[in-house]
Amino acid sequence: MKAILLALVVLAVLIIIACGIWVGVALISAIMPVRKPKPPPKT
Amino acid sequence: MNVVLSWAAVSVYVLVLAFVAIRARAAREYEDFSVAKRALPLALIFGSLAADYVGPGFSLGFVGRGFNSGFLFLFVGLAYAVQNILVGLLVAPKLRELKDCYTLGDAMGQKYGRKCQILAGLISVGLCTLFSAVMISAGSVVLNDIFGLPRWLSVSVVAVVTASYTTFGGLRASVITDAFHFVLFALLLPAIFLYALLFHFEGGAASFFQQASTATTDGFKSASAIQIVSFVAAFLLGETLIPPYANLALASKTARISRNGFILAGLFSSVWFTVMVSLGIVARTVVAKDTHEDYVLLSLVNSIMPHVGYALLLVALVSIVLSSLDSLLNAGAVVFTQDILRRFAKLPDTVALKSGRYSTIIIAGIAAAAAVFVPSVIKGLLFCYTIWAPAILPALIIGLWIKQPRPLAGLLSMITGTLVALLFELPFLLKTQVPAILPALACSLTAYLLGHWAEGFYKRRPFSVVLRRMKRK
Repeated sequence: MKAILLALVVLAVLIIIACGIWVGVALISAIMPVRKPKPPPKT
Repeated sequence: MNVVLSWAAVSVYVLVLAFVAIRARAAREYEDFSVAKRALPLALIFGSLAADYVGPGFSLGFVGRGFNSGFLFLFVGLAYAVQNILVGLLVAPKLRELKDCYTLGDAMGQKYGRKCQILAGLISVGLCTLFSAVMISAGSVVLNDIFGLPRWLSVSVVAVVTASYTTFGGLRASVITDAFHFVLFALLLPAIFLYALLFHFEGGAASFFQQASTATTDGFKSASAIQIVSFVAAFLLGETLIPPYANLALASKTARISRNGFILAGLFSSVWFTVMVSLGIVARTVVAKDTHEDYVLLSLVNSIMPHVGYALLLVALVSIVLSSLDSLLNAGAVVFTQDILRRFAKLPDTVALKSGRYSTIIIAGIAAAAAVFVPSVIKGLLFCYTIWAPAILPALIIGLWIKQPRPLAGLLSMITGTLVALLFELPFLLKTQVPAILPALACSLTAYLLGHWAEGFYKRRPFSVVLRRMKRK
């Protein structure tokens, strides 16, 4: 029981960090969008 | 050396913030300024919502509460999670589905007519300005702590920095900087928790359990039932769909993203509260017992981390205040343009965009002037919450769900809710300790029902018909 309580709190910490990384990735792709290379002209 | 490190941390933060704000681009159209072209993805909606509410109250405040009353406040905080999830399930997608809707006032206008839209606009602009004043005051207090600046200067710095990027970038810049602030906070505070737990907390899981149960028992003993009900009411209703959140619901790519953004933000809040309360529990073995609860987190970080870590935390606190403030300024400006100016004059989009920009500056100026007089951050926030929920929520939520809402019902509900909430701020009613939000909400609902019934009665039996019948007789 005691260990489970602390384990749940550590899990919550990991969830917050994961959310931070997820939003961070979305932020980077919003401010620095990757430009798709133009397709070569058809000959 | 410490001062140099603090300045370095602040400078790096300002540079990165400036880079992010510049990359967010200036808004060139009104649609971009007000609702970010309704193209925001789930991660940004979620990040912005979370950044808006993870302010000093939900970080410093919850750590302090965890320190004094253990997990008691986690149960209170769950009301906030429930509120967000309910908004996600019942309100946000309905709002997003409305066509040509830029603000809550627009939604009220579509459901109840022009008068209700203007009234909702006035209430929203007033509250956004008040909320902004409270946020500027909170940011200036933290700046004072770091640099010892005079009050007027720290207030000006907070207002000018935030207004500058919000004025040009509009909602998109606000959301993108919110996401940046959220990332900063979501990585820094868990890192502080893990650091404190691993290197400064003695006794492991058994000691944590012991501290948690002692604090929680103390918390239940010291809080009265009416206090707990007041807190639950404030968390459940106070911040529900305030204008910046409503703007995010309207700016999401689809109704589904709008719904999921609020649900995820609600779930995240419960996880966040768990960690903040636990940080307070860990602090019980590190920080002196008589520390004021607002200073528990700052004292903990100050005593266990190198000075630069403390400076970073303060910077993160300022940043999180800015992220709440920019959303409020943008929401206030859009509401003023859309619900008030556009109701009296036909403004083309280019003029509306200019008006939105000028309104941002004016609201920031008024809020900065008012910020000097804000007595306390928490009192200011509670005052705003008390008015918002009864004034707007009953009319908005019922209006979104019933087929033919009646204008008189909306108008009566908004006026009654506002007046009763203001009445309960009078000193002799404050003494009763009854949470004003509950009676004000009850009166607002009753007024809505009365207005609905009265208008229905009038429509079914118009006086003209009654008069005609009398003449025939």
